[in-house]
Amino acid sequence: MQKRPFLFFVVLLFFIIGLLPVLSMLLKSIMAEGRFSLEAYEGILTSHRQWTLMGHSMALSFWVMLLTTIVGVPLGVLLGKTNLPLRRFFIFLFVIPLLIPPYITAVSWFDLLGREGLLSRLIGPSFAGMSSRFLFGLPGCVAILFTTFLPIPILLTMVFLRTVNPRLEEAGKLVSGWRGILKGITIPLILPGILLAAMLTFILSFGEFGVSNFLRYGVFPVESFTQFSAFYNFKAATAAAVPLVLVTFVVLLSEAGFLREKTFRLRPSAETEDLPLIALGTSRNGLFVLVTLFGFFLVIVPILVLIVQSANIQAYAEALSRAGDSLLRSLFYAVIGATSLTLFGFFSGYLIQTKTFRYWRAIDFTTIFLFALPGTVIGIGLISLWNTPYTNFIYGTLWIIILGYLAKYTALTSRITVNQLTQISPAMEEAAQVAGAGWFRRLIFIIIPLARRGLLAGWIVGYIFSLRDTAITMLVYPAGHDTLPVRIFTLMANGSAQLIAALCVMLILATLLPAGILWLIANPLLRKAKR
Amino acid sequence: MKILRMNSVTKFYEGTRALKDLSLEVSESERIVILGPSGCGKTTILRLVAGFMAPEEGSIFISGQLVSQDGHIILTPEQRNLGMVFQDLALWPHLSVKGNIAFGLKAKGVQKQERETRIHNILQMVGMEGYSKRKPDELSGGQQQRVALARALVLRPRILLMDEPLSSLDLELNIRLREEILRLQEELGFTLLYVTHDREEAFGIANRVVILSKGRVEFDGTVDAARAHLTQ
Repeated sequence: MQKRPFLFFVVLLFFIIGLLPVLSMLLKSIMAEGRFSLEAYEGILTSHRQWTLMGHSMALSFWVMLLTTIVGVPLGVLLGKTNLPLRRFFIFLFVIPLLIPPYITAVSWFDLLGREGLLSRLIGPSFAGMSSRFLFGLPGCVAILFTTFLPIPILLTMVFLRTVNPRLEEAGKLVSGWRGILKGITIPLILPGILLAAMLTFILSFGEFGVSNFLRYGVFPVESFTQFSAFYNFKAATAAAVPLVLVTFVVLLSEAGFLREKTFRLRPSAETEDLPLIALGTSRNGLFVLVTLFGFFLVIVPILVLIVQSANIQAYAEALSRAGDSLLRSLFYAVIGATSLTLFGFFSGYLIQTKTFRYWRAIDFTTIFLFALPGTVIGIGLISLWNTPYTNFIYGTLWIIILGYLAKYTALTSRITVNQLTQISPAMEEAAQVAGAGWFRRLIFIIIPLARRGLLAGWIVGYIFSLRDTAITMLVYPAGHDTLPVRIFTLMANGSAQLIAALCVMLILATLLPAGILWLIANPLLRKAKR
Repeated sequence: MKILRMNSVTKFYEGTRALKDLSLEVSESERIVILGPSGCGKTTILRLVAGFMAPEEGSIFISGQLVSQDGHIILTPEQRNLGMVFQDLALWPHLSVKGNIAFGLKAKGVQKQERETRIHNILQMVGMEGYSKRKPDELSGGQQQRVALARALVLRPRILLMDEPLSSLDLELNIRLREEILRLQEELGFTLLYVTHDREEAFGIANRVVILSKGRVEFDGTVDAARAHLTQ
């Protein structure tokens, strides 16, 4: 198999799966009865309501970005660079909210703080009124998205800390304490990573629609979704999606311009085992208690609330009878999604890392752009392209959902591949090439075995994100193909609180258990096999 | 016939000109060492010969066959029948010593029985017969060098390319392995194109020395002449 033609085919496929739906959507939005027309946009540009929604979206994203950065960066330093006890456990703990659909977190806080929530029963209706007002509006949305996206600055801070050459800090240590080193050396060095995290948090919050929809806070992605699903006004939905495309594009373009060279390769320092840790001294115990309490309220409480709310066999029996088929479908689609994402991400990551084509940056940018794009936009794009009598073999089957996963989440598996391949010396492949091996043989016997831990990590990430996807699936799923997140979302309108809580617990377990078990079993095996 | 011919080769590397109008001819069974400081273009020559990159200008012939010219690779590395020992050795960590050596033979479709014989012979030649099941990280630095050498030689290459392969070893081991390389070259008769920045290493291996400076050939001659040139 020839390398360039095959990889070109992958690029072409990615163009058809990812970019073509968005382009098709944009094209249709500027056409009316076969002629060029901006009619669909006139409503948006002249409507006061639309500008208000845009203001809401901006405010929501700004506050989430600001708060996650203020809290996430110090937490990342604490977990990545100090001798705080149980750091690995805390990392796992804080990542959990990112792995489940954000609206599930909203449901749990609603069960706790809502008018008929647990606290209302404990404290009284006056408190419930106040907490409910907090929850249903900007503060509530900010709080929930803060919980969801906090892992992004934590993880990126930790990753970038590992790229700092320890000798630079040791040189600083000769003349300053850790406080001075962090302020003057470490933080400035990882600033591109912090800015990248802030930017990612901003665009992901900007595109999130489940939480705002549930908490009835009008934002732009909800408008696009409502225009399509409630009024079936495809033109209005498309036109409402375009500002989301533009904002995402502009933010990412600025990232490409200012940060890309500094953040593209997250190569760990050569002496990662030698990373100097900050001894917390007397404040170690105090900080441990503080982080424990923070993690408890942020992550454990919402899950506990769902468990308490659903602590009833009948609730689970009803959940299984009403959504058991959706659960099985979710697992099945997530496995197909994860496998496709791993394969697709591997090849796109490989061609980006090896710079096979001159336009590798454009491919990288496109994967990130599609990941950052709101799921509703990708969903509308897919419908725009595939909803034709000739393509019903895709549009009317589960493949439309898988195409959605591939379009949106390839960036994740692709980046994981890039980082994995960066750690493999190019001489490994070159040595095989000199030995007479063609590309496919090199791939199968050298590159893939060396990158297998990255492939496993990619599969697990693909599984989790396929399983938690709500926005794309909600828009494109054919009749009889709804997944568990979609079924929960639709049942929320008329299902009992107990039933919804039971379904949420099932979804959390379906996400975390298989992924966790696979990682715990396969990772040590792969590590051992490598030795 | 010359086994390698580089005609007026110019190569740009990360914006700067790494090689300028360089011409070089190598005869069969010659031991030619390219000597020069870091960044003078030594490794670029090896990578051009191996086929990992193409010269922007000029052409390269191996055994009279045009392999790359004016920015185009005509024969890919796997089609050139060369052996290479990399600076960091590039032994595949997930494969055993035998797996590392067998890989190229399998790629070339050598039958199992023939493969086994060749692996056995080459391991014997480099003094590693008892280590075939070990993984690279279970070997010492010197043993890894021998495996890298065996992996390259088992394919019976037309030319063996060596990119500062001994630079990370202590002096004693360096001298011992140099002697082994010479012994193997005499036994097998391959052409050796060896790159180093170390004069003593160069003089210990070569029967012809090419001194490179800023991407140009500054000197090309015998070991004695090279010594004289460098003491001037």
